[in-house]
Amino acid sequence: MTSTQSESRRKMSALEKRNTLIAYSFLAPNFIGFVIFTLVPVVFSFVLAFMNWSGGQNITFAGLDNFRLIFKDFSFAKSNLGIALKNTVFYTAMTVPLTLVFALGLALILNKVRGAGFFRAVIFFPYVASLVAICVCWNFLLMKNGPVNQILNAVGFNMKKSWTSSRDLAIWAIIIVSVWRNAGYYMVMYLAGLQGVPAELYEAATMDGANGWQKFTKVTLPMLTPTTFFCSIMMVISCFKIYDVVAIMTQGGPGRSTKMLVTYIFELSFGGENIATSAQYGVASAVSMVLLAIVLIVTFVQFRGEKKWVNYM
Amino acid sequence: MKKLFALLLAVLMVACMATAMAETTLKVAGWDITTTPYYEAIKNGFEAANPDIKVEWVDLASQDYNIKASTMLAGGDTTDLYCVKELSDMQNWSKEGLIVPMNDMIAAEGYDLTKYAGMDACYVSTADGQQYALPFRADYWVMFYNKDLFDKAGVAYPTNDWTWDQYAAMATEIAEKTGEYGTHYHTWLSAVANWAVCDGVNTLADGEYSDLKYFYEMYQQLEDEGVCMSYDELKASGLHYSGAFAQGNIAMMPMGYWYVSTLIGYIKDGTASMNWGIAAVPHLDGVAAGSSFGSPTGIAISAASANKDAAWKFASWMCSEEGAKAIAETGTRPAYVSEAVASVMAAAEGFPTDEISAGALLPTAISLEWPIGEGVNEIKTIVNEEHSLIMTREVEIDEGIASMQERAAEYVK
Repeated sequence: MTSTQSESRRKMSALEKRNTLIAYSFLAPNFIGFVIFTLVPVVFSFVLAFMNWSGGQNITFAGLDNFRLIFKDFSFAKSNLGIALKNTVFYTAMTVPLTLVFALGLALILNKVRGAGFFRAVIFFPYVASLVAICVCWNFLLMKNGPVNQILNAVGFNMKKSWTSSRDLAIWAIIIVSVWRNAGYYMVMYLAGLQGVPAELYEAATMDGANGWQKFTKVTLPMLTPTTFFCSIMMVISCFKIYDVVAIMTQGGPGRSTKMLVTYIFELSFGGENIATSAQYGVASAVSMVLLAIVLIVTFVQFRGEKKWVNYM
Repeated sequence: MKKLFALLLAVLMVACMATAMAETTLKVAGWDITTTPYYEAIKNGFEAANPDIKVEWVDLASQDYNIKASTMLAGGDTTDLYCVKELSDMQNWSKEGLIVPMNDMIAAEGYDLTKYAGMDACYVSTADGQQYALPFRADYWVMFYNKDLFDKAGVAYPTNDWTWDQYAAMATEIAEKTGEYGTHYHTWLSAVANWAVCDGVNTLADGEYSDLKYFYEMYQQLEDEGVCMSYDELKASGLHYSGAFAQGNIAMMPMGYWYVSTLIGYIKDGTASMNWGIAAVPHLDGVAAGSSFGSPTGIAISAASANKDAAWKFASWMCSEEGAKAIAETGTRPAYVSEAVASVMAAAEGFPTDEISAGALLPTAISLEWPIGEGVNEIKTIVNEEHSLIMTREVEIDEGIASMQERAAEYVK
């Protein structure tokens, strides 16, 4: 009795082992890639934040020197980190709500309209198009004598400059391009969310005499909160990591008006425009730790607030 | 005893000669070896002059040349010589004793350092004052001009001893008479600000930027009068200088010497079809005519080299007039400045045949585009940022310069 029991256990464990191995073998390709290209660099950059390293053989322990350096004379008006932080937060605070509003608006319009498939494809297109091409086109549109400025001048504004050459408008150029580009992607999320709203709810609302606006605010919006929650988390994280649009359109300029956290990190490690390598990898890693901390805190707060407004059926 | 001594001496001499006759192979590290023609030209020329020494180029990837070369040097690799890509690296290598000073060899041979228009000075170690490398290549800035537009406007071509005021007047006159652009400033900082360093005294890292004011004012006036394209539009459209000048509607453009081969190529393949020439960049009163700025490329000898004498032979040949001619034949600007080298360069197919262009190949002094030292990278970023605010007219010139000085002060050593 006992012998057969233990035998079967051994058999089972052998089978289990085999199954586990198979499972791991399927996980391995992704996991190895993740370890080599994500985990190791992240851990390395965490270590680097406390080191002095410029790419050579000499790597020395720096303690908190790198952090002291980036927080030295911290101010939102003058220090590099302060300006980068201010710009990134402003960009995120503007881009996320604007994108959500546009995405939801487009989703509502294209939910039931005729020929929706075509328009959905059109609106989704910027998301899959080459970013460089998009940014170059927008640079032309927002040029000194470009179409946007001509229209604005015609309606009474006095636009004398390219948007990307103005300290006040350059960041808006980045925000506009980001919203325009991402709205299509999040529209698809909202479309999926709208499909999930049960028709009975609308029927019941109609029975109760709700008008269109009431249906929207009392049924549609609450039912879409999980989507909104997901979209806002994803977008906040990606907005804090904004780099590509800035690199192509303004290179952080004019002056420091569009310097973002990631462009600052890049500048510290690989040099900025026309600037030879500065290779302060330790300092750059310290800034990226600051970025990581901010994203973690913001995401944590968002999750904490989830219960208060997100409505799961 | 005497016999034995004689025999010993004879054996020694034979041994010495045999060593001398034996072939030495030098390994020299560089980047983009296969795509850059002058490496091969240097090797061939040197081997022809020194049949007992063979040269083998070690190709390191361009983008991580500095890291790779530093690692090899620190690890005691047997590579004998290293091309110097970044001046800051050369300073670090010399401080760590990874490359050898050349002063003794220079003194023993009476090697002439006066032919580099001053570019040899940047290879002097800031720590011990010794010469650690020699320059073999130098792309300094010259003025490119479109002869057709000058002819159309009836304005005389620039000469090699003109001033910035004359330049501005010429550009304005051509723009007025032809309706085209009198000059062109690429969006780089160097195209406007670096003229202030041509005096060899000021640098862009000295924390004192009032000397840039003259050039900013000149630029803004030309921009306001429509003599040159606006920075704002160039920046937004991303128009590259090479295409801009090739269009044929720009009379003058200061640019690095490397543009010569681009332009010759454009004329050959039909992209551009104008008559063009080069002249020395204009100068300020009190600065020698023919002064310009640029960046050199040098060669240094590894401390780990087992063939230091042969290595010196190679380095000194590469940076000599003979080496310069070999480099010049491939269309690259060598650091060595002389009539003979200039005539090789002027003889290149497609190079303008006039005397002023040939004369522009004989610069009197070349200043470094950026000096080396701690804090320079931070200053570079600061100057570039404030520069973009001045160029986009977001701040007044004085305000921008004050801001440059205020922000750079922290890093000025």
